[in-house]
Amino acid sequence: MLKLPSRSVVILLAALCAAALIVPYVTGPYAIKFVTRIMVIAIFVISLDFLIGITGLVSFGHATFFGIGAYVLYFVSPEADAANALIAFPLAMIVAGLCACIIGAVSVLTRGFYFIMVTLAFGQMFYSLFHDTRFAGGSDGAYINVKPAVTLAGASLLDLGGRLTFYHVCLVLLVGCYLMFLALARCPLGRVLQGIRHNEQRVAALGYNAYVFKLVAFAIAGSIAGLAGVLYATIDGYVTPDLFGWRESGVAIMMVVLGGTGTLYGPVLGAILYALIEEVLKTSSLVGPLAEHWSLGLGLFLIAAVLSAPRGIAGLLERRAATAAKQSTTAVPPSIKRVAARGKELEVQDLRKSFGGLVAVDNVTLRLAPNQVHGIIGPNGAGKTTFINLLSGALRPTAGQVRLDGEEIAGSPPHAIARRGLGRSYQRTNIFLPFTVRENCLLAAQARRPSPFRLTAGKHWAENNADIAYALAATGLSARAEDRAAHLSHGEQRQLEIAMLLASGARLLLLDEPLGGMGPEETARVTALLRELAADHTVVLIEHDMDAIFATSDTLTVLVGGRVLAQGTPDQIRRDAAVRQAYLGRFADQEPI
Amino acid sequence: MELVLIQVLNGLQYGLLIFLAASGLTLVFGILGIINLSHGSFYMLGAYLAVTLTSYLGDVFLALIVGIPIAFLFGAVIEWLFIRHLYDRDHLQQVLLTFGLILIFNELQRILWGTRPLGVATPSYLEGSIRLTEVLSYPVYRVAVAAICVLLAVAMMLVIQRTRIGQMIRAGESNREMVEVLGIDSRLLFRFVFAAGVALAAAAGIIAAPVETVYPGIGERVLIISFVVVVIGGIGSIKGAFIGALLIGLADAFGKVFLPQFASFAVYALMAATLILRPGGLFGRV
Repeated sequence: MLKLPSRSVVILLAALCAAALIVPYVTGPYAIKFVTRIMVIAIFVISLDFLIGITGLVSFGHATFFGIGAYVLYFVSPEADAANALIAFPLAMIVAGLCACIIGAVSVLTRGFYFIMVTLAFGQMFYSLFHDTRFAGGSDGAYINVKPAVTLAGASLLDLGGRLTFYHVCLVLLVGCYLMFLALARCPLGRVLQGIRHNEQRVAALGYNAYVFKLVAFAIAGSIAGLAGVLYATIDGYVTPDLFGWRESGVAIMMVVLGGTGTLYGPVLGAILYALIEEVLKTSSLVGPLAEHWSLGLGLFLIAAVLSAPRGIAGLLERRAATAAKQSTTAVPPSIKRVAARGKELEVQDLRKSFGGLVAVDNVTLRLAPNQVHGIIGPNGAGKTTFINLLSGALRPTAGQVRLDGEEIAGSPPHAIARRGLGRSYQRTNIFLPFTVRENCLLAAQARRPSPFRLTAGKHWAENNADIAYALAATGLSARAEDRAAHLSHGEQRQLEIAMLLASGARLLLLDEPLGGMGPEETARVTALLRELAADHTVVLIEHDMDAIFATSDTLTVLVGGRVLAQGTPDQIRRDAAVRQAYLGRFADQEPI
Repeated sequence: MELVLIQVLNGLQYGLLIFLAASGLTLVFGILGIINLSHGSFYMLGAYLAVTLTSYLGDVFLALIVGIPIAFLFGAVIEWLFIRHLYDRDHLQQVLLTFGLILIFNELQRILWGTRPLGVATPSYLEGSIRLTEVLSYPVYRVAVAAICVLLAVAMMLVIQRTRIGQMIRAGESNREMVEVLGIDSRLLFRFVFAAGVALAAAAGIIAAPVETVYPGIGERVLIISFVVVVIGGIGSIKGAFIGALLIGLADAFGKVFLPQFASFAVYALMAATLILRPGGLFGRV
């Protein structure tokens, strides 16, 4: 999770603001314009960092929205009069935001490299639309004859053509945008976005529709890029198709990486550094005849920067402040009263999954009664994890039905199933490693609140805290609440998986080998916890630790080759000859398990 | 009808050419895991090598024969100097570094060859045209370009299918981690693949030089179009790159005639449409 910037960074940013306030009084028009340009580009790159560094969407087409914002100003500017900034600027944001919604709706379907390329393609589409046609000045670009002014009720309040006025407007907007994105990244919405960046599958399994969240982030970033674009067009009074081009997007990525992704302030520093280096290399009084070949120097600088400071300027500033393991201030006694509730009932009918010719789950029919622990055992490759994946929605069944408390859930996406109260853990530890233990649980807890899009935790704050305190106490993690998940031992990480399920309020828990890698003490605690949980949950347990699963379960189901071989109480299963034959093979005639 | 035929021929020829450039890109991404923004610069390198070598050797085909080894060596040096530091870095850093390379290559090009557009002569024995119908003829050199592209593509397939290094490439294509587990010296394999990708792109630049003007921005156009081809075909898939390149070649050729102002738009729209229908490209693993 994004932390508030450290004190030294805050001082640095404040110093930069102060410098920006002084610049107009000690320099000339050239410097004022230069700094204005940096501030506008900084707004643009902060919005890009919100996509890349916070949400994990590497867009190579962010300039699309920058260009759209700029062209909106061109279209609303009358031939010989000033456009009203109070209309033009919000309009640019709205148009850019809407375009981002449409382009994003398509783009966020893809991932990784394909996302990079599809966003690039959309940018190039706009570029060629404006470049290859005579529309809006074609490849030559077009002039905005009169710069916009802020007009209210007929009275002109601010003329943005005035160099100094516009300079200060840009400074205010830059600071505003930074604070807004910082707040966004730290609110519940931002927590989900950062969760998506680190582990999208897990976010979906907690009940969030990752697609919608990514789209929201894309639209917000696009609309702010539109604001930057309209400001940029105001600086020069000129728009050109190059504003949409891949180079514009590429340079913005450079600035973000140079400054440090995912820090929001880093890209601002990146923009300043990039512009300064370019300016220095172009100034012949400083570098002599080399000024003509400035891009050679810039290229070498970028390469040197990647190789020597992979985490950017921010990485150099933030010398890993070792997060002192603060004792949790909310150490709540383990015995919190929970409202007794009923677990969910699960009915599975003729469930089938085939991968090509291979049938992994073969017509399984089961009824798992509420408030019991149901163990599922079977040799490796029996289809246990596939079965869990079908129940949780990670895989779509080929045929069959799954009913959760009578409601059909087969074929629904994972987030929809999770929101109905089915939670799962994973065979391989699947948590948000860069988050603290508390933040992991918080992400789980806020998933079930009515609207996860809220900007503040609001009235649910206390509820969330109580849920988390219970979950941490139950799994013995209270003392480690403020530690990063990456620093936990393997066993503790497995416990955190369970804690997240508890915090999420799920009523049916699918646990895929929760005891894997735990020591005997932890195993004893977790099995005891599972028994306790059956009071208000239904627990479905896959486990290779036979002693533990026979001791814990109320019913056992044996899967072999994707089929149900036997079902019954642990005692019945222990005595079942077919099970012993299938499960133990040649050891079948030896001691019972 | 004649127009359609000519455009089919033009489209196929252009498609084959970008296949050469794109196949290098897809190999480098599929096996090395590197997003190489500077790939277009190697096409540019080829085009300018064609200018210089043809002026000394007198024939663009001699330039091709001399140019390919030069480009291969150049690629190996670039891999050793820069690219090898990127294998365990994330995509963003790869983008940043290779973008820096573009800036350097463009500037070096300006220093060495200037900004004036240059041309390369078609060999005199290939100057004529082939009569296809009463009113229609097609330049012999363009046919030769297509033939050379097919030849190089076949040679590449043979290397990949029949040789030991090709076997490693195929192993790497389907599972990058496996290559290392199998005890193959991945450093040499990676260097070879990168250099071969550079040589392929440069070869395309050399043989295309007589049919197009050689100008400073030539690499970037090829870069973007190669990325489009790679993505349509599915990252890492040579077969996909081949089909993607022909599709793009045809779309571009027909677009230029029937909707001249929307030709490039059509190309990008085709890519976006492909990804919407198949988010992993035509032959890609998602």
